Amino acid sequence: MRLRLPLVAVTALAAVVATAACSPSAPSDSAAQGGDKNATLTIATTTDVVNFNPLLGNSRTDGWITNLMYPRLLTIDANGAKQSYLAADRGYSDPTTGFYELRGDMKWSDGTAVSAADVAYTINTIMTKKPAGNVVYGQLANVESASAPTATRVELKLKRPDATVVDEVGFWMNVVPKHVFEKAPDAGTFANNSDWVSAGPFRLTTVAKGQSYTLERVTPYPMAPAGTPNVAKVVYRVYPDVNTEILALRNGDVDLIANALPPAQVKTLQSTPGVKVQEVPGLGYAHMTYNMTRKPLDNLKVRQALAHAVDYEAIRSVVLQGQAVTTGSSPIPPVLKDFVKPDLKEYAFDPELARKLVTESGVGTLRPLTMIYSLQDAVTSQWAQLVKDNAAQAGITIELQGMDRNTYLAKTAAGEYDIYAGNFAIMDDPATNMALTFLPDGAINYTKVDDPALSALITKATATTDKAAQKDLIWQAATLVHDNVYDNVMYMQNLYVAHSDKWDGFVVKPSELLSVVDPQSLANARKVG
Amino acid sequence: MPPVVGFVARRLGRAVLTLWFATTITFLLLRLLPGNPALAVATPNMTPQTQAILLRQYGLDEPLLVQYGKYLWQLVQGNLGVSITQSVPVTDVLLERLPWTLLLTGSSLLVTVAVGIPLGVLAATRPSGLLDRLVQVGGVVGQSVFVPSVAIALLFLFGLQLRWLPIGGAYSPGVYGGQWYLDVAAHLVLPCVSLVLVQLGSYVLTLRATLIDSLGEDYCVLATAKGLPHRKVVWKHALRNALLPTTTLVGLQLGFLVGGAVLTETVFAYPGIGRGIYEAVTQLDYPVLQGAFVLLAATVVLANVVTDLAYGLLDPRVRTQ
Repeated sequence: MRLRLPLVAVTALAAVVATAACSPSAPSDSAAQGGDKNATLTIATTTDVVNFNPLLGNSRTDGWITNLMYPRLLTIDANGAKQSYLAADRGYSDPTTGFYELRGDMKWSDGTAVSAADVAYTINTIMTKKPAGNVVYGQLANVESASAPTATRVELKLKRPDATVVDEVGFWMNVVPKHVFEKAPDAGTFANNSDWVSAGPFRLTTVAKGQSYTLERVTPYPMAPAGTPNVAKVVYRVYPDVNTEILALRNGDVDLIANALPPAQVKTLQSTPGVKVQEVPGLGYAHMTYNMTRKPLDNLKVRQALAHAVDYEAIRSVVLQGQAVTTGSSPIPPVLKDFVKPDLKEYAFDPELARKLVTESGVGTLRPLTMIYSLQDAVTSQWAQLVKDNAAQAGITIELQGMDRNTYLAKTAAGEYDIYAGNFAIMDDPATNMALTFLPDGAINYTKVDDPALSALITKATATTDKAAQKDLIWQAATLVHDNVYDNVMYMQNLYVAHSDKWDGFVVKPSELLSVVDPQSLANARKVG
Repeated sequence: MPPVVGFVARRLGRAVLTLWFATTITFLLLRLLPGNPALAVATPNMTPQTQAILLRQYGLDEPLLVQYGKYLWQLVQGNLGVSITQSVPVTDVLLERLPWTLLLTGSSLLVTVAVGIPLGVLAATRPSGLLDRLVQVGGVVGQSVFVPSVAIALLFLFGLQLRWLPIGGAYSPGVYGGQWYLDVAAHLVLPCVSLVLVQLGSYVLTLRATLIDSLGEDYCVLATAKGLPHRKVVWKHALRNALLPTTTLVGLQLGFLVGGAVLTETVFAYPGIGRGIYEAVTQLDYPVLQGAFVLLAATVVLANVVTDLAYGLLDPRVRTQ
């Protein structure tokens, strides 16, 4: 006893000393001195940075921070249409050659010009290194190689015609500086955790892991007003708990919450003095898919019965508190206006019709069906119960299997479910996403659908560069999906972010990935109060 | 062999065995979890072939025994491996977070003991009094409340309404020099208080019960009969014996606190190892999880070995048992 208590004291003292050793040094050049142009924008996020290498990016915050330094070739406007960013022009010079023509006025923060060689290097590195978690790798399946014939022109040699690759790679890929990454022993596992260079509006300078990430203004940045971002610093602060995050906004510790607010918090914050709530269009959807490799879900009437046994409007108004819109049970989110087929209507909630369809299906008494979902997804966890209750009204038994994310992913990968419930975060290109979702070898073909007619339409749509023809093919494919219940898309959630009313100038872009924290938005944000 | 050498050897041998056991169990349990690291970082368009390549990169496609052998060999060389998701050495990942956890848990343990012992003594020496009743009710309530609820209530009151203390983090960005230490202290108050509130009850109630028992023992009655002041009987005679179960509780709580502060660290955005473990579990980052558990096991085992050895040095009976 005489020793144990002193031991605890010594341990605590050692902890204090160890922490003291972590005391940070003041930076030599302090940019923030007050005044609008020298203001610091503090942004709250719920997730920590996992990796600073954009070839590996894992968490949402990774993307937000690396986007501010490593430019994409294309961005997306409020209507979901791709727009120029680093690439001033793009397209196909022949069916198997894609190209980007870069704007010539962007530089890395160390003075090196951003060139086509950087873009070609990034693409080729992704293809050869296959970095973990890289979203672009799968989109490069039809790319043989990338080259840089001039300082501003990038050419993609394709294995076969592919009308999606230029836009998809352009939108999803962050270009990394070749002169930095090629010095790393392995760019595919390079941690990139110091001495950052940036071709965006801000450059990461200080990291306090688990706490905050400080970025300082980079000039010139061509997309900012007069070539200079309005704020001197952007600080990302990590608050894993969303309630704490909201308290920090109300307290003035942070100026903006970057992650989408839980539906229940939106109304409260809308009426909170000093806080502005900004709507951000969603680019994804929530859906249920019926595993067609399991009987009786291979029966169309059974799938139709299930589709008519859900009160979608109740889910949107109760669980989502009205912050979601119908897609007309179509896999094309409404924000992609050019591709939406207006005559597709949502499956009506009609328990009696559902009963009738089950009878007509000829499967006899329907066995209980399992539905898996991730318990980490609070919204899905809530509507899953409604789906179960609605189905019971039609005499259909659904057994809910909420589980932790990793078990959910494992079960999904193994196809161990009757009904899969989840979200598709970003659908920016209908042809690409339909290929992933409905082709037999599609990575997220959770319905396990293998319909030759549908596959032919999607394959054609991905290959054609004629936009009108592509739209027609997408419409036909969406109709097939809708009529055959190959996917049951329930709603597209509108996202909401909150910021202090002392700030404005944010540029809203669809999806949580871009939202109001896209480089162009933060370069234009300004302090007004 | 001199008894002291044998005693030390036995204790160290037991510690190494405990560590090996903890390491092995951790290694096996992680591999029993559903899924794998490739699935955890998989993107929508990652094919099964790419996932297989990733598993090969991490050496997770090898037979379990081979993986285990390689892991143990790395471990005895002091190499905890490289984080799958962060691509940096696990040692760096853990050492970034460990000081904050030690600061939080160490200070909360100190405050708990410093407040809990006098409170337990006061309650035990005035049984059925107002303070005793308050302590009993408060102790049970404290043990029953959910940490995040207490934490959010504290943040709302002291952070938002009164604005006395900061909301979240271990220190504010952009604060340097002497001001930094004050800032760290200010950020520590609320997470520390919330941990103290939820663990104080068990200390106070344990001490109260054992002290009441001790005060009824013959040696205390005798001391009182001999005319010793009540204060001396309580603090010098009864308390020493009554503190033994409390001491055991401190030892048990040490291991729990280091890993178990995850909820507190999450609500207060405190960058400790508990949160790091939670994030690593989400990503199934085996090397980080293995490293964290080895570190936690080593901390607890080491504390116990040092205590055992010190006991042995001071008490000859322990050495010869």
